[in-house]
Amino acid sequence: MKRDKILVIGLGRFGSGIAVRLSLSGEDVIAIDKDDDSFRKLADTYSGYQLVGDVLDVDILENAGIRQAKTVIATTDDDNVNIMVAEIASRIYGVQEVFLRLVDQDKAVLIESQNVHPIFPYLLSMAEFDRIRGPKGGESR
Amino acid sequence: MRIVIAGGSSEVDYLIKLLKKRHHQLIVINKEREYCEYLSTANEMSVFFGDPSRKYTLEDAGIANSDVIVALSANDAENLVICQLAKRCFGVKKAIAILRNPKNVNVFRNLGVNTAFSASMLIAQTIEKLSIVDELVQSLSIEDEKIVLSEIKIAADAAVGGRALRELDPPVNFIVSCIFRDPEVVIPNGSTTIRPDDKLVIVSTPADQEAILAFLQKKADHA
Repeated sequence: MKRDKILVIGLGRFGSGIAVRLSLSGEDVIAIDKDDDSFRKLADTYSGYQLVGDVLDVDILENAGIRQAKTVIATTDDDNVNIMVAEIASRIYGVQEVFLRLVDQDKAVLIESQNVHPIFPYLLSMAEFDRIRGPKGGESR
Repeated sequence: MRIVIAGGSSEVDYLIKLLKKRHHQLIVINKEREYCEYLSTANEMSVFFGDPSRKYTLEDAGIANSDVIVALSANDAENLVICQLAKRCFGVKKAIAILRNPKNVNVFRNLGVNTAFSASMLIAQTIEKLSIVDELVQSLSIEDEKIVLSEIKIAADAAVGGRALRELDPPVNFIVSCIFRDPEVVIPNGSTTIRPDDKLVIVSTPADQEAILAFLQKKADHA
C-alpha cells in the first residue's frame, strides 16, 4: 500500500500552521482535532482534509488513514496525548516519520527512537534567548 | 508488596481500604487537592498531591522499585505515560492500567503495558461467562484469559454422580482443584467420588470450558 498521507493531530497555532504549509507544498494532509471550532484556525489556503475526533480512539486514527501515512505530527496541547499518538504511529502502524511537541522534556525517554522526533518549545526558546542576547550577554556573566 | 495508586477518583478510597487490610505498603498520588485531603484523613495516611504523569512527582513520591503501580486516570494517554515512566525510569515491576476506552486495551498491550483492563470489557466478559449455562455459578479468567476457573454444582441426576474421578472419561482434559461438600472442602485425588450437590472448582482452558460443563451436567441414562 502506498504511504503518502500526512496526519496533523491537534490544531493549535503550531499544528494549523504546519498543516497549511504542508498542504500548500502539495502534500496530502489530514488535519484532526477533537474540537470542531479549531478548524477555523486553518487559513483559506488549506486544501487538505478535516476530521473531528478523539485520537485516543484508534478507530479515529484508522479512519484518518494512519495505515497510509508516511508522516504523523502530534501537536495537541497535551504531552501525554502526543506521546501516546507518537507511540501508536511508530510502534503499531510503523509510520516512518513521527514528530511530536513536548513541553515536559522528562517524557522524552519514553519515545526515543530513530523515527520519532520530539520538538521542545522550552529548548527552542532558550536557544532564541541566547541568540538575541548574543555573545555580549555571555561576557557579562 | 509496595503498591502505587496513581490518579483515580471514587474507587481509590475503596482500593486503599482493601489493600491496607491485606497489609500492603501503599503510595497514593492524586492531582485533585481536595480528594488528597479526604483520602489522607479517611485512611490516616499521607497522600501525594501532584500530577502522576510527571517524572518529578513520581520521584518525590518515592515510587522507585515498587512492586506494582495501578494507573486509574480517566485519560488513557495519562495512564500510558504513568505506566511507562514507572517501569522505565523507576524500576517498578508491574504496571496495571484501568482504561476508559476498551479499544485501548490492545493498544496498551502492543505498547508493552500487558495488564490493561477496562471496566466495560470486564462487564462484557462477565455477562458472557454467566450466560453460557445457568448451573455455572462462577467463572474467573486468570493469566490473560489463558486459564479459566469454573465453579459448577453437580445435579442429583448427573451421570458423573457416584463415580470416582479416575473412572471418568471426559472429552477433554481438566483438573478438579477442589470440591465444596458442605461443610467441608475436599482436595480430591483420583479415588475421590463425585456426589450430587458437590460444588467442583475446575481449572481448564477457556476453549474447553463448554465441553467440560456439558460433560459434567449430562444426565444419567438410566435415571
